[in-house]
Amino acid sequence: MEILRCEGVSKVYGSGDNQVVALNRIDLSVAQGEFVAIIGASGSGKSTLLHILGSVDKPSEGKVIIAGEDISAFNRTKAAVFRRRKVGLVYQFYNLIPTLTIRKNILMPLLLDKKKPNREYFDQVVASLGIDGKLECYPNQLSGGQQQRAAIARSLVYRPALLLADEPTGNLDQKNSREIIDLLKLSNRSLKQTILLITHDEKVALEADRILTIEDGKIIRDEKRGGKALLKEGQS
Amino acid sequence: MWKNYSADYIRQNRASGYSIMIAAFIAALFLSFLCSLFYNFWLDNIAGTKLEDGDWHGRIAGEMDEDAISMIESFANVEKAAVNTDLSNGEQVVVDICFYNKKTVYQDMLQIVNMLGLTEEVCDYNYQLLSLYFVRIPGDQMPRLLMPAYLAVVILVCISLVLVIYNSFAVSQNNRIHQFGIFSSIGAAPGQILACLVQEAFLLSILPILAGMFLGVVFSFGTVRAINAFTETLAGGRQSSFSCSPVILIIIFLLSMLTVLISAWLPGRKLSRLTPLEAIRGTGEQQGKKSVFRRKKHFRILSLLFGMEGELAGNALWAQRKALRTTSLSLSLAFLGFMMMQCFWTLSGISTFHTYFEKYQDVWDVMATIKDVKIGEFDLADGLKNLNDADSCVVYQRAEADVRLPVEAQSRELSALGGPMAFIKDPACDEGENLVVKTSIFIMDDKGFEEYCRQIGVNPRLDGSIIWNCFWDSVHSNFRYPEYIPYVEEGMDTVVLQNSEVKYLQEAYQSEGAEQEGFAEIPVLALSQECPMLREEFGKSEYALVQFIPLSLWRQISGQIGGEGKELKIRILAKTRESLETLNMLEEEIVEMIGPDYDVESENRIQEKIDNDKMIEGYELVLGAFCVLFAVIGIAHVFSNTMGFLRQRKREFARYMSIGLTPKEMGKMFCIEALVLAGRPMLYSLFFTILATAFMIKASYLNPMEFVREAPVGAISAFILTVFAFVAFAYYLGGRRMLKLNLAEALRDDTLI
Repeated sequence: MEILRCEGVSKVYGSGDNQVVALNRIDLSVAQGEFVAIIGASGSGKSTLLHILGSVDKPSEGKVIIAGEDISAFNRTKAAVFRRRKVGLVYQFYNLIPTLTIRKNILMPLLLDKKKPNREYFDQVVASLGIDGKLECYPNQLSGGQQQRAAIARSLVYRPALLLADEPTGNLDQKNSREIIDLLKLSNRSLKQTILLITHDEKVALEADRILTIEDGKIIRDEKRGGKALLKEGQS
Repeated sequence: MWKNYSADYIRQNRASGYSIMIAAFIAALFLSFLCSLFYNFWLDNIAGTKLEDGDWHGRIAGEMDEDAISMIESFANVEKAAVNTDLSNGEQVVVDICFYNKKTVYQDMLQIVNMLGLTEEVCDYNYQLLSLYFVRIPGDQMPRLLMPAYLAVVILVCISLVLVIYNSFAVSQNNRIHQFGIFSSIGAAPGQILACLVQEAFLLSILPILAGMFLGVVFSFGTVRAINAFTETLAGGRQSSFSCSPVILIIIFLLSMLTVLISAWLPGRKLSRLTPLEAIRGTGEQQGKKSVFRRKKHFRILSLLFGMEGELAGNALWAQRKALRTTSLSLSLAFLGFMMMQCFWTLSGISTFHTYFEKYQDVWDVMATIKDVKIGEFDLADGLKNLNDADSCVVYQRAEADVRLPVEAQSRELSALGGPMAFIKDPACDEGENLVVKTSIFIMDDKGFEEYCRQIGVNPRLDGSIIWNCFWDSVHSNFRYPEYIPYVEEGMDTVVLQNSEVKYLQEAYQSEGAEQEGFAEIPVLALSQECPMLREEFGKSEYALVQFIPLSLWRQISGQIGGEGKELKIRILAKTRESLETLNMLEEEIVEMIGPDYDVESENRIQEKIDNDKMIEGYELVLGAFCVLFAVIGIAHVFSNTMGFLRQRKREFARYMSIGLTPKEMGKMFCIEALVLAGRPMLYSLFFTILATAFMIKASYLNPMEFVREAPVGAISAFILTVFAFVAFAYYLGGRRMLKLNLAEALRDDTLI
């Protein structure tokens, strides 16, 4: 079942001589439960694509349909509510609120909706991420790996349709990177969580079911792990 | 979000909260003081109007019997109706009516007169009193601007306060752009972020607003007391009591809260509209850096004066310019207001001294003015001259007429300047052989006139005029330092006066019976350049020929000439001139003597000087208080800024320290920042004050050196030094904390937290 579809998505910054085309007519489809890695050089447009998929940014052109809804037409409030309920975002620098405890940071998407958390699910998530003993700590009392686990827990707490991770291991050592990828894989397998992960680490990308390669704002390669390439270089 | 986020944030970032609390406190203090004061002024105006015009809203004058009055009293909206015995006479009864609901006074009055079978013309309204209740009666032509003026001032103050305290909120909120970016990225809607910010402002501001309100009311109470103490010593001053109703307190609270919430809402709205990407990436510091590089700002003067620390301090101030905008604005207003006020009052003092106290110092001790009385009808002059403490007394009245001057009668000096017609904008008539010019006739009681004759060495006579033979040469002098030339040639025997209403025809004068038609030829007793001791300014108005004549002569010609002014004046010199008590006693005696028969206003020289000085002191106090308030706002913002140094600038200083900036050099940087922060508004204000003062000196024709000698250097220096001292102290406190900074800790990237 298709959870995400992009149709001719373009993103252009600036105007006139200063115009920069970050994304150039991207077409993409992702099925529910897929674990997709997006790789590409710096400035290739992968973060822009992730931001558009997460309704953090809007495309200049084209449609983005997630769970049946065209998010490119959303206003700010609708986009925020969509982000809260349907998308989990994980950043390289964790982006936890420093003045809140880890528990509150994780529960924040639910609290914004004035919803009570499902205790069992919450316990399951924090236990599986190994931060159940750190819930009353503040972010600056945790290591980088622990903070990133908390950020992943926050992104999963609403059971989103899509988890978008932007270089989640970019700021971690090898051991912690490995653990984070394992946790993402675990949530993909056990919770059937659809994941789109941006990385420029090929080893990390190889953990995904599918690898998209972006260059100059275009998908130049779309390869299924353990299967044949859906799109080979030069066909885009 | 308050429970889940704001409470924790505020607890952990107290400095940021203090800045908002100070802003709210100042807003409430200012508004509470102003509203409470205006409320009391309003009540005082109502009391004053009731005292002066009577306590009534509508008035009906006509033929009415007891039944009619009962009918009025039983009208639903009528609070009370009473017959005004002072205005009623046998034929017509005047009924004063007060209404419960003042908004419908006009309609109700029409209904009442309709019921009584009278017409609308019998209605009268207490327009002034009703306008104080915001009720305008159709047909009222007067502007009645008092209440709109109060409201306009309050609205202006609210807007000014929003502009002034807006920055405190903006600074506090901008420090959290990154955090709100995170919120936004996890799904916080713009409305939720805005609501969170406004809610925070609301909760943080409640206590400071209540404290500010309380203090503002206390200040207002003190001000009313001070005004009462001041008016107590003034002639005719009325005491007013201080009131504070729950309604006005609620209004003050709502106004303060509205001001604070709008101040929080404006930057909050801007922040909530940022996209998550903008918010996460665009911290205040990064924006500052961008601006610095984009604008390529160099601080050559600071660099030249203070070296590299000057350049760094300039850059730091530039990067903080938005946060410091309130400080700069408030300090500029405080400096400018104070300097302008001091210079204005100094100039005003010099001017008053020249035109009033210096000029008239020796010519009067007590003045009494009686309205609507002709000098010929006043019969108490002899009694006044016999007062024990009076050394000299003159009763006089001014009359305006025209005078016919043969061309050859004008002085050679005046002819050389082109004659009077060259000066007079709207000459009465130039008939070729005769000039017709204005003349100011001062009619003096006979004894006073004889005294004047003796003063100038003329044999006292009561059948002619003494001409003040002076013409103001406005070509070669200004009104401040006038020079005079003779008006007429010596040897003038008679002068022809004519009623200014009469057509100036040669034929009319030459025709038979001219005297009956408004002409009078009177003897000239003397031409003198010395004038009698009267508190009057002679010869400036329309270059009139000034002459003094005795009452006896005026009785003979007044029928033809006419033109007496409405005021009769009595000038008295006391035997003991330097004692306030003597002058007060003398003034009382005069009022006691004249008061029963005439409507008299009196003043004495020493009391007048004291009142004038007090009035200026009062103005200075009120305006000075505003300047001090602006300075307090500016200084409070400097404190709020420097208290947040550790949070806002630790990375900036950590970078400086990491490349070897010593604590001494950092201290120097702070000194330069403080100097520039307070010095720049001071210099701008000084520049504008000098310009404005130069303009005022030029416009008032004062000698600039006279101002330089009296310049309020002391007061202005004291004010400037006080403000500088507070700014320096704020930087000392902030800088001291910064100098204790742990370099390793400060260099940690906040985004890793």
